[in-house]
Amino acid sequence: MSDQLTISAEPRERAGKGASRALRREGRVPAVIYGDKKDAEPIHVEEKALNKLLATGVFMNSLVMVDVGGKATRALPKDVAFDPVSDRPLHVDFFRLAKGAKVQVNIPVVFVNEEESPGLKRGGVLNVVRFELDLMCDADLIPDQIEVDVTGLEIGDSVHFSDITLPKGSESSITDRDFTIAGVTAPSALKSSDDEAEEGEAEEGAEGEEGAEGGEEGSSEG
Amino acid sequence: MLQPKKHKFRKAFKGRIKGKAPGGTTLNFGSYGLKAMEPDRITARQIEAARRAITRHMKRQGRLWIRIFPDVPVSKKPAEVRQGKGKGSVEYWACRVKPGRIMFELDGVPGPVAAVAFERAAMKLPIKTKVVARLGDTSHLEG
Repeated sequence: MSDQLTISAEPRERAGKGASRALRREGRVPAVIYGDKKDAEPIHVEEKALNKLLATGVFMNSLVMVDVGGKATRALPKDVAFDPVSDRPLHVDFFRLAKGAKVQVNIPVVFVNEEESPGLKRGGVLNVVRFELDLMCDADLIPDQIEVDVTGLEIGDSVHFSDITLPKGSESSITDRDFTIAGVTAPSALKSSDDEAEEGEAEEGAEGEEGAEGGEEGSSEG
Repeated sequence: MLQPKKHKFRKAFKGRIKGKAPGGTTLNFGSYGLKAMEPDRITARQIEAARRAITRHMKRQGRLWIRIFPDVPVSKKPAEVRQGKGKGSVEYWACRVKPGRIMFELDGVPGPVAAVAFERAAMKLPIKTKVVARLGDTSHLEG
């Protein structure tokens, strides 16, 4: 189960983009706590503290105790909005959890025993289809990660949802199909050897400029 | 080089690139990505040069996704031709890239290898870029 994280927050008096931008200029991140059939509570948190929690990698599937003026609320981070250019967090949604609540969480997938896969040993590439699994979990039993064993996978084989065992208290949100999690695809050596052949032809037939470009690349590699 | 198979109009207006990327700003396929930090036109030739730089550095490992496509025809008049007499002929194809856009994604290679591959690709591009990874993954910053 994932650890419980803590973040301190302060209530936000003014909503809207002007107030939010003013907060961001002061190193704070606007946030909101909602859910459990109570009113939404606009808050703001310290950007540095939030970045520390984000860097753990398990922020999105951990219970977070949000301490608003001494009153702690048990919540699950539902969404973090990032600036597309600077990647700074712009806003956080916290989902208030009731006792014994079931929550929908995206749990990261970790692949183990890659050395035991003959396909990967022969140079195959693990093609991950789902980096995260959409699960319904008990709020107190949210797993950190789901381990997927790739032992014995040959090139062309794949791992489906039915091949993994979920931890206690978790079930998939997708129930209508047995979806693929990852597959072992043919080594790109074959593809790239085709590419090289194509490149060779292109360089031969190309104008002087492109040929010169190819030469530069070759020297930098060598 | 990348170019549309068919197009509705032979020539396009010059256009302007304003604002930040409205989409395509998060990793969708791989574990590492190369993000644009400036707006500019990226030509099909530049995309191809970057792709070659990445695949050559990865030494036939991993998998690469190109998430931009040059769909804007750029025309040019021949040298020593007087103004007028209509728009010039299509010279090359380009893609309008806004800041924040993930241009390339990589998977199946260690973080430091991906970082160097993207560094070499960035040298082929006319804009400032940065390497991004999934939340909590800092392996590309090592080494």
